[in-house]
Amino acid sequence: MLPSLLLKEWLKLKRYFAAALLLNFGICLKIFFDIRQQMHSEHAEMVWYQAIHIHTVLYQDIRYLPLITGLVLAAAQFVPEMLGRRLRLSLHLPASRGFMLFSCLLSGLLLYLLICVQDTIIIYLTLQNYFPVEVANSSLPTMLPWLLAGLLGYLGGVTVLLETHWPRRIFLLLIFSVLITMLFSGNGYGWFTPAIPYLLLLFPMAFCSVFESARRFQERGV
Amino acid sequence: MNAIEVHNLRHQYNRRTIYEDLNFSIPEGTICGLLGKNGQGKTTLVNILMGFLKPTSGKCLVLGEDSHDLPPATRNRIGLLHEGHLAYEFMNIAQTEKFYRGCYPNWEAEIFYDLVEKMGLPHDHKVANMSCGQRSQVVLGVIMAQNPDLLILDDYSMGLDAGYRRLFLDVLHDFAALGGKTIFVTSHIIQDLEQLVDTMIFIDQGEIMQTGLDDFMNSFHKYVFHNGGELDLSTDDVVKGFEQRGELVSLYSFADEEKVKQHLTTLGIHAKELQKVEMTLEDGFIGLMGKY
Repeated sequence: MLPSLLLKEWLKLKRYFAAALLLNFGICLKIFFDIRQQMHSEHAEMVWYQAIHIHTVLYQDIRYLPLITGLVLAAAQFVPEMLGRRLRLSLHLPASRGFMLFSCLLSGLLLYLLICVQDTIIIYLTLQNYFPVEVANSSLPTMLPWLLAGLLGYLGGVTVLLETHWPRRIFLLLIFSVLITMLFSGNGYGWFTPAIPYLLLLFPMAFCSVFESARRFQERGV
Repeated sequence: MNAIEVHNLRHQYNRRTIYEDLNFSIPEGTICGLLGKNGQGKTTLVNILMGFLKPTSGKCLVLGEDSHDLPPATRNRIGLLHEGHLAYEFMNIAQTEKFYRGCYPNWEAEIFYDLVEKMGLPHDHKVANMSCGQRSQVVLGVIMAQNPDLLILDDYSMGLDAGYRRLFLDVLHDFAALGGKTIFVTSHIIQDLEQLVDTMIFIDQGEIMQTGLDDFMNSFHKYVFHNGGELDLSTDDVVKGFEQRGELVSLYSFADEEKVKQHLTTLGIHAKELQKVEMTLEDGFIGLMGKY
C-alpha cells in the first residue's frame, strides 16, 4: 500500500518539486555569485566587516524561499484532492485514514527536506569558501527559523486546505500566519537560537492539526 | 445476512431535516436501486453509508460494520463509484492501474484492461483529457478489478450516452451473475434500473418505500382516460399520482380498475375510455413521486 500511496503523491508533486528545486538552486547560486562579486569588486575587509561586525546576513535572498516552497508543495498535493472532494477516493482505500494521510505528508515533507538540505549545503559551502568556519556554522541556526517557517507553511497549508468549515479555516489561517510571522520577526545571525528547542514543539502540533482537519473533512461529507 | 442495514437514521443539514426515521436493509446477493427526485438525499445517504458524513443520529451497518468507522478490511470489500465518476485526473491509464494494484490484494489487472481497452486509448492517456464516458470506463475498470463483494454506485449514469450506459449495465449484469454480490445503485435514468434491480427503495421527503421490482410493477398500475378541460384532482389513498397532456389523463394507483373507476365517479370525474395500460418503471416513478 505504501509504495502506491507514495507513487500517487510523486505524480502530483514531481513537476512542482523539480521547479522548486531548480528555483532554490538558482537563488543559492545567485547568492554565491553575489558574494564572489562583492569580494572581487570591494575590499574583502569591507565585506568581512559587514558580515562579521555589522551582522549583515549575506544570504537574505533565500529568507522567504522555504516558506514559498512549503506552500507550493502543500498546494500541489492537496488542491487536486480537494477539487471535487477527490480525497474521498483515498479515504475509501483499504488503509486507515491516519496511515493514508501520514504517507501523503511523508512524501511532501521528504521532498521539502531535500530542498532544504540543498539550500543549506550550498549556503554553507559558499560561506565556508569566503569566511571563517564560524560564519559558515552560524548560517545553520540563522536559517533554521526560515526553514521551520517553510515547514509550518507546508503543514499549515495542508491543514487549511483540508478544513471544510470556512470560519474555522480562517481561524487556522490566522494562527499559522501569526506563527510564521513570528519566525521572520528578527534579523541577524542566530537571533532565534535560544528559542529553537521550543519552536520545534510547533512541528508535532502542526502535524496533528492536519489529522484533525482530515477527520473533520471525512465526517462532513457532502 | 444483510449487506446494508439502516436503523432509525436521522440527518439534518443546515437545519433542514433530510431523513427523520429511516429504516431499511439490503440483503446480500441482491441488486437494490435507490430512487428519488433530485435533492431527496440519495447522495447524502451514500455518503453516510461510506462514512463520509456523520448522521445526526441512528445507525448504519455496511457488511456488518458501523459505516462511520469502516475498517480497511471492510472497505477492501466495497467498490464505490462516486457521483461524477470521480478519478485521479493527474494519472494516466497505466498509472491508475499501477496505483490501485498496490492498494487491493485481490486486484485483477486483466479485468481493468479488458474494460479500459474497449476505448482504444493508449495506456499513457491522461484521465484529465478523457471524456465523461471514457472516464467512467476507467472508474468502472477500477471498481471491477477490485473484485468487491458490495458495489455502491452513486448515479453511475450521470453524463453518459446510451452506449456507455448500456456497457455499464452489461458489466453490472455479469458482475451480479457471479453470485453472492450485492449492488446498491442510484441513477436518474430510471429505465436503466428496470433492467438491473430486483428491489427498489423510493425516497421522498425523508420517507422511504422499499419494494421488489416485480411486486411494484405488478401492484402499481397506470390508467389512462380522456377528460375535456383541466382536471381538478389531488392525490389520496387511491390516486397516487396523475398527469395530463391535453385531454389525455394518466393516473397511477395501487387499486384495480374497478375501484379507480368508482373513486373517480365519487369525485365527480367522468373518466371517458378509462383503461389500464402498460407501465414502465419510469412511469411508475413519476406516478409515485411526482414530477417536481
